[in-house]
Amino acid sequence: MSTPAVEFSGVTKRFGEVVAVDSVDLEIADGEFFALLGPSGCGKTTSLRMIAGLDLPSEGSLKIHGEEVGPLPPNKRPVNTVFQNYALFPHLTIADNVGFGLKMQKVDKAEIGRRVAEAIELVQLGGMERRKPTQLSGGQQQRVALARALVNRPRVLLLDEPLAALDLKLRQGMQNELKALQREVGITFVFVTHDQEEALSMADRIGVMGDAKLLQVGRPEEIYEQPVSRFVADFIGRSNFLPGTVAGDDAITLANGAAITGPTTGRSAGTAVDVSLRPERVRLEARGAAPADRPSIDGVVRTATFLGNAMVYSLGLDWLELEARIENRPSQARFAPGDEISVWWRDDAIAVVDGGR
Amino acid sequence: MIRGWTARLLGSATGLVYFFLYAPVLLLVVFSFSADRNVGRWGGFTLDWYREFGANAEVQDALRISLQVAVVSTLIATVLGTMAALALERFRFRGKKVFDALLYLPIIIPDVTMAVMMLLFFTWSLDLVDTVTGFTLRKGVGTVVVSHIAFNISFVSVVVRARLDGMDQTLEQAAADLYATRWQAFRHVTLPLILPGVLGGALLALTLSLDDVVVTQFASGPGSTTLPVFVFSLIRKGVTPLINAVSVVMLVISVLLVVLSLIAQRASSSDEPATE
Amino acid sequence: MTDTVHPLTAHERAHESAESRRGFLLALPAYLYLLVFFALPLAIVFVYSFATRNRTGGTDLSGWNLDSYGRLGDEIVTRVVMRSFGLAMVTTIVCLLLAYPFAYFVSTRRPAVRGLLLVGVMIPFWTNFLVRNYAWRVLLSNDGPVSELTQLLGLGETRILFTQTAVVLGLVYSFLPFMILPLYASLERIDGRLVEASRDLYASSWASFRRVILPLSRPGAIAGSILVFVPSFGAYVTPAILGGDKKPLLGSYIVSQFLTARNWPFGASLSAVLIVVMLSATLVYFRAGGRNL
Repeated sequence: MSTPAVEFSGVTKRFGEVVAVDSVDLEIADGEFFALLGPSGCGKTTSLRMIAGLDLPSEGSLKIHGEEVGPLPPNKRPVNTVFQNYALFPHLTIADNVGFGLKMQKVDKAEIGRRVAEAIELVQLGGMERRKPTQLSGGQQQRVALARALVNRPRVLLLDEPLAALDLKLRQGMQNELKALQREVGITFVFVTHDQEEALSMADRIGVMGDAKLLQVGRPEEIYEQPVSRFVADFIGRSNFLPGTVAGDDAITLANGAAITGPTTGRSAGTAVDVSLRPERVRLEARGAAPADRPSIDGVVRTATFLGNAMVYSLGLDWLELEARIENRPSQARFAPGDEISVWWRDDAIAVVDGGR
Repeated sequence: MIRGWTARLLGSATGLVYFFLYAPVLLLVVFSFSADRNVGRWGGFTLDWYREFGANAEVQDALRISLQVAVVSTLIATVLGTMAALALERFRFRGKKVFDALLYLPIIIPDVTMAVMMLLFFTWSLDLVDTVTGFTLRKGVGTVVVSHIAFNISFVSVVVRARLDGMDQTLEQAAADLYATRWQAFRHVTLPLILPGVLGGALLALTLSLDDVVVTQFASGPGSTTLPVFVFSLIRKGVTPLINAVSVVMLVISVLLVVLSLIAQRASSSDEPATE
Repeated sequence: MTDTVHPLTAHERAHESAESRRGFLLALPAYLYLLVFFALPLAIVFVYSFATRNRTGGTDLSGWNLDSYGRLGDEIVTRVVMRSFGLAMVTTIVCLLLAYPFAYFVSTRRPAVRGLLLVGVMIPFWTNFLVRNYAWRVLLSNDGPVSELTQLLGLGETRILFTQTAVVLGLVYSFLPFMILPLYASLERIDGRLVEASRDLYASSWASFRRVILPLSRPGAIAGSILVFVPSFGAYVTPAILGGDKKPLLGSYIVSQFLTARNWPFGASLSAVLIVVMLSATLVYFRAGGRNL
């Protein structure tokens, strides 16, 4: 395997008594589009700032392409950042903003001119060179910030909530563009976001952070299908949690006594677990119509909400509430509040996470 | 929004305040062109007093010294005050709190006490130089400049700090991220962005230096009389139409400074991001 | 960051101390300047205040004593201080009465108009202090415009020059913007919806003013009062131009100790007391939530 673009080993960052990042180990591969995902205050931005050199690690080692960068100041690192509010220099024109990094590195003028023009073309801002940042829209400002970073041909590009300041429509467009741009330039992108959809749709791999710790790293499907903890399952998409205990290898007894099959991944018998079941994986039938060879649970429809492409049901089972999302297909049966139903699922539809509140 | 008679009442109170603020100064300008020997009476148009102003060597000297003192003390105070502002707004260092407090004192202390401080200090320190080195130094333009810098550093730093405080610090981080060294980041990002504040501080320093009477009076010696000190002593002896003319010249200088500072503020606000 | 439970690592420590050194070096020139040319002079004032005046009018720095402070209780001194205090109080109150309706009116205008009205207040504030005071000397002079106006109105000649009325007039004229600006700042911050809410709750316009706006603008009024009171109390130039010599105020009394009476230790002790009073007033100002000028 080649040298990782970014490598955290046991990196901890403390601000006074607050631990912002807690012994994180992480490898980000060269050319990867990597997302650091988590709620605000989870340490994802601090992690990004440590790569940039804007914060220094308290402990551990941080390497960029195999080179220890722990104590290096930001201007000595082969990385560039797209800041959350873009941080464009208000007193400089777009061209001067984009050329700033090259000028600081004393690249000769002709070369700067050529590369700036190239970068501005890359983000489709031709004709805006002489404007000031305040004369641009939010989306255009973001492109300038991208061009300003990319023009330096960094080994790693860091993006701090790059789309957060844009409105929804623009955001979706920019997601596709960013992804295409990353493929085109082939630079490692590390981006921080609290928006799980953004992370799922754009990233090659995702690192989920919570409470200063890196909880899970994996491809979007892995994170979604096989969350390692209730926190991850809950943060990425929506999920139902059915409490139970491990009965044996891949055998679980739910709290209502039902015996089901699911990946217990080496947990010993008697361990409390939660079975995570995504609403869209819930199968719903009229009472008694569930396949006889599968365990099913009876219940009652409490509410039914029409969403156009799907129905969302809130189901009352004897011992818990369950959310189910059923796509609207012509053949699909619809239920109304009060209907008696049976719920079932396929074995590979569930994930098992550590139980307990 | 208030309406009706309350608004009209408040509006006329506002008009009155403006009248109160502007009428005296404008009347002074009018009387400076009056031929009457009595300073407050109209006696037909004349430029005699301005001619007298132009011919009076003492006044000319005082004006020259005033400008010298103001320019030199402003330049030095602006550099020192800006450095102090940067240190306080962007760094943590030992003794910062004491420095911060020390920087506020010259603003708080009344000019009479500042004057007393300077008188006693120069008396003591020039004596000390005399006994230690044998050189006899006297109070003069140098001591006036030194005392003006002492109060101007504080005013410059207050103005520059306000500007630094309002500046987005991620801009400096962005510069560092884009390979700028500390000096480059200051030179290409921080300085251009705080320049309106620095200019504003410098103009305030010029104004205060040209305003000062008491501190200068106590810190000056023979041959270092500034225009305000000279005019003040003339007024104490008795008013003459010449003082009207000199006053209007001082007024014009300060209005020029105000206009400059308004232009500086204009220039700065157009650089500010529209939404924040 | 020195009070952390975890010690900083070598990198962090090196970084912090490099930063600290940079900041210190940046502050150093101004720091040294103020230590030598401000703090030291300040200390010398206190030293002189314990010294003795000798027969020739010079100052004897050996043999410290409290004689100068003992004189602070003299009747003439208390009279000068009380007079200055009273004048500064009257000035402050007049400024408050003039500034409040003005600031309130400005704060209820559209933003563009507001800016213009405020610049209009700032311009005279920036013009030469001495000239502004001198202008009143001209206005109030015998046969001057004010006197002519009152005669025209049948009120007889105005003879207020060299009286305390003239001094108050001059002080108000000099320091009115100090009152207007903080008052305006606190009035402008008041959420207009609060007034509407109080009107909605059946408050008359007077009641909503008294119960909503007045209390909310109090910090501005306090800040403005201190900003006007402090320089008025120690004023020198204005009383010297507009006031008479017969009833000295604190500022001119201190100056006279150095220029005419040549009793430096006594002048120094008066200055020392004035400094302490001003510092206390400023602390009150900061407590009241005021910040920069």
